[in-house]
Amino acid sequence: MEYIKSTIEDLRKSLDNKEITGEELFNKAKTLANDSQNEINAFVTIMDSYMPKGKTKTILTDIPYSLKDNFSTTGILTTASSNILKNYVPVYDATVYKKLKDAGAILVGKTVLDELAMGGTGTTGHTGIVRNPWDKSRLIGGSSAGSCASVASGIVPFSIGSDTGDSVRKPASFGGVVGFKPTYGRISRYGLFAFASSLDHVAMLTRCVKDAAIVTNILKGYDPLDMTSLKDDGLDYTKDLDKSIKGKKFFYIKEACSYDKKSDMLSKTLSQFDDLIKKIEKLGATVDEISIDKDLLNAIYPSYMVISCAEATSNNSNLTGIPFASRIDGNTYEEIMFNTRTEGFSELIKRRFVIGSYVLQKENQEKLFLNACRVRRLIVDKMHELFKDYDALIMPASGGIAPKFGEASDVLSDEYLILENHMAIGNFGGFPSITIPYGFVDSMPIGVNITGNIFKDNEVLNIAKQIEDILDFKGQVAGDKNV
Amino acid sequence: MIEREKIESYAEKLMFRMKPEELDTLEKEFDIILKQMKLIENIKDIEKVNPMTFPFITYEAELRSDEEESDSLTVDEVLKNSKHVVKDQIKVPKVVE
Amino acid sequence: MYKVVIGLEVHCEVLTNTKNFSNAKNSYTNIPNINVMPVDLGLPGILPVVNKEACKKALKTAMALNCQTPDEIIFDRKNYYYPDLPKGYQITQVTKPFGRNGHLTFLVNGEEKTVDIHQLHLEEDTAALEHYTNYSLIDYNRSGIPLMEIVTEPCIYSADEAVAFLENLRNVFLYCEVSEAKSDKGQMRCDVNISLMKDTDTKLGTKVEMKNINAFNSVKAAIEYEIKRQSELLDKGEKIVQETRRIDEDGKTYSMREKVDAVDYKYFVEPNLAPVKITDEFKEKVRSEIPELEYSRIKRYLKLGINLEDASTIARDKYISDYFDELLNYTKNISIATNYLTIVILGSLNKLNISIKELFITPKMLGEVVNLVDKNEVSNQLAKNIIYEAMEKNIEPLEIIKSKNIKQISDEGELINIIKKIISESPDQVKEYLSGKEMVANFLVGKVMKETNKQANPATSLKLIKEELERMR
Repeated sequence: MEYIKSTIEDLRKSLDNKEITGEELFNKAKTLANDSQNEINAFVTIMDSYMPKGKTKTILTDIPYSLKDNFSTTGILTTASSNILKNYVPVYDATVYKKLKDAGAILVGKTVLDELAMGGTGTTGHTGIVRNPWDKSRLIGGSSAGSCASVASGIVPFSIGSDTGDSVRKPASFGGVVGFKPTYGRISRYGLFAFASSLDHVAMLTRCVKDAAIVTNILKGYDPLDMTSLKDDGLDYTKDLDKSIKGKKFFYIKEACSYDKKSDMLSKTLSQFDDLIKKIEKLGATVDEISIDKDLLNAIYPSYMVISCAEATSNNSNLTGIPFASRIDGNTYEEIMFNTRTEGFSELIKRRFVIGSYVLQKENQEKLFLNACRVRRLIVDKMHELFKDYDALIMPASGGIAPKFGEASDVLSDEYLILENHMAIGNFGGFPSITIPYGFVDSMPIGVNITGNIFKDNEVLNIAKQIEDILDFKGQVAGDKNV
Repeated sequence: MIEREKIESYAEKLMFRMKPEELDTLEKEFDIILKQMKLIENIKDIEKVNPMTFPFITYEAELRSDEEESDSLTVDEVLKNSKHVVKDQIKVPKVVE
Repeated sequence: MYKVVIGLEVHCEVLTNTKNFSNAKNSYTNIPNINVMPVDLGLPGILPVVNKEACKKALKTAMALNCQTPDEIIFDRKNYYYPDLPKGYQITQVTKPFGRNGHLTFLVNGEEKTVDIHQLHLEEDTAALEHYTNYSLIDYNRSGIPLMEIVTEPCIYSADEAVAFLENLRNVFLYCEVSEAKSDKGQMRCDVNISLMKDTDTKLGTKVEMKNINAFNSVKAAIEYEIKRQSELLDKGEKIVQETRRIDEDGKTYSMREKVDAVDYKYFVEPNLAPVKITDEFKEKVRSEIPELEYSRIKRYLKLGINLEDASTIARDKYISDYFDELLNYTKNISIATNYLTIVILGSLNKLNISIKELFITPKMLGEVVNLVDKNEVSNQLAKNIIYEAMEKNIEPLEIIKSKNIKQISDEGELINIIKKIISESPDQVKEYLSGKEMVANFLVGKVMKETNKQANPATSLKLIKEELERMR
């Protein structure tokens, strides 16, 4: 068995057949993690010893995993990759972490994110940039950068991240792995450091669809500590994965996939998408091209910025140096807050907070914040309307491969593609949404995104698995394939 | 176009300072986001739409029954992440109202 | 002369086992930071979960104050930075408060007064700041304790009205059992907004705000001081500054800060608290738990012919009022019943320093005694002694009466013999009477009482004595 290529199921077998012990698995993962740090820099913290805390034996017992460093872990440094929390050691467990601990999964390390999960490049964490294991000169995307890199490079078979705009599903595309965000509330957010509460989702990165189903099975369910969490649907998400999707109806958004002038990269990506559609139709499913009001589609990105920045500026008001976070002293409490926050936040974060605060101000709220919330409603209503006739939306997760460092930044720019931002729709409406690899461009992986109606997590996973099966990327790790 | 002083005062209200070059970038970003938001006003009947706060509402959420939790934090846990503790409380410079 | 216009913002801690958004204990303690959950500390990743009991009690109070109530429960965030606010925002209600457009009617010096309630909402208390010479300490026990805020319209025109409103509002809390409302523990505190205007003026004068006053008499003092201060300024033709003032022990107020431009709290709906429907069933259940309130009881007592002072005394405390209402099930003589409750019972409660719930004498027992007095079977004097004795020995009054076979002797045949005897024994007094000192008759009544150990009917005895003496002329 080659560890780095192993799925959860493979490892389960080896463990059950006593070919390897949990401790040996942990040590493999730990060594890989440490060795990768110089080149990839996926981790803020790497655990030093194997500490099984499982309550009962489950499919995840002794399976190594990594956890984004914005989940609260008692006694384990949790920084959200921000200087303001560089010494913060939580005193309570996130529900997700507790469930994984109880299930016997073994934490290998806490992974780097874009500071406070605000960003999509993986370059803004306080411990430095995260590199793409497929090409070290490229970024892996964010904000769940380290989580994605740790799975894409085979250090762990799965990682828990968070997805507010596309923070798991976009990196998954750049890293050639699976990124799944279940329905809003399917997994408790308790203990996930809030970025934008109404958009935040616990999400995961794996190397195959079935592993995503396995992990979601363990994590889903109602949590009395999260009023927005959903009652368990009682389904085993691994059961229906192999059902045929014959007769299913999919659609993609015309305006997002057709441009007058296309870059070479965009045309390559889109032509692969066309090939994929043909393959899907061979499975007996139909894929329609649907047209949506372009003004509405163009409004997705600014509306996402406005809503997420507004919630973020409030959610992070607790970071003042009183009674936690690295306080920088002053003669008055105001000075303490000023010094702590001025030193503690990077420029990008400050810019986002100012925008968020601006749109919430009395005189701006109607035209900015509330209009953004109105756009959100229009888009979500449109999706619900389409989901009456269609089982899923299928789209390229990105207009291309992972950019080189310097090519992309988190500074707002005027030229953006609808194709780069459509996945926020999944967060607007809380729709279950998954990205899986569907090809390579210039030897770099690209991903396709599948989004279904709320509560249809089981169906979305089934569709994704059926598509995964007709492709050849299941379980791939960086460098594994030379295309 | 928002004038510089305003932006600075917004930062101040958020309890942090920004460097001049940071404000430059922010000014540009404001122009972009405000221009894009302006376009939203063109969407037909946008003002009639009911703003959306929650991704969806099930009305299944339950209020918490008023029962005390045994494992509330210990004093040490409450104070664990502060270096400024006196008499089991968090110390700050005198707060003058 | 200026017209005074006052608006009040009353904060009241809600009586629950746990906090509003965490299940940490809600209780008053001097040991710092022992009732704290991650939510109350605003730690990264925490999520609030709404306390059902707190909502129920806020709704109950809103209904008791005749407010319109919402169809669902949602909360909003009020964003600002202060060392006692760990999250950097307070969870409160703006979009759909538990109560709107209510009113409370009560009496001020015998005059009926109605104060309009602008809004009642549920929110969370902040941590407690303790100030020392050169630093302050933060205790998070109070952080997140459920707090009701009641905001009145500016429709209060004097210190007396303000205090009367606060007292009646507190009794609404106590009657509904939604709060202990102890001002000394800061469980009930209020902000006073006051402005003066010429009688001729149409628009309100400059508003001055006085924050966090606990004791009601401090409210009175503060208002009176402000009226004086502002009147003098206006007389001198000076402007009133819009500001927030603090009140000191001596009742004087001091400027805290001038209101520059009002803070923008950037309110928005709290996204972590999924909306919960308030069903009509739930509303009805809550409504059914609201008892008859103070003012309605006072009016009922007045109709029974009870004077205002007694009516108010009885209705001031729900449990005393309940006791009295039950007492009326056992006796028809309201005046004696009222007299015995307000004098004998309330007097003893003070003396023994116990609550009426702890009292040995049940309404039934008291009713029985009242009826004996009513039927002239036991003298008033004796009846009261019996009640005191009953309380002392925890023996039912009727038992005592039986054991001492006490009854009032009103039978003239029986009395006349005793009287004849007394007269024959008191020749001097007889002389005095016949010589015109008719007062002596009362002295003889005393002797009769003594002879019958207080069982003789004094009125009947006096009548008979006079008849006897007259016959001797």
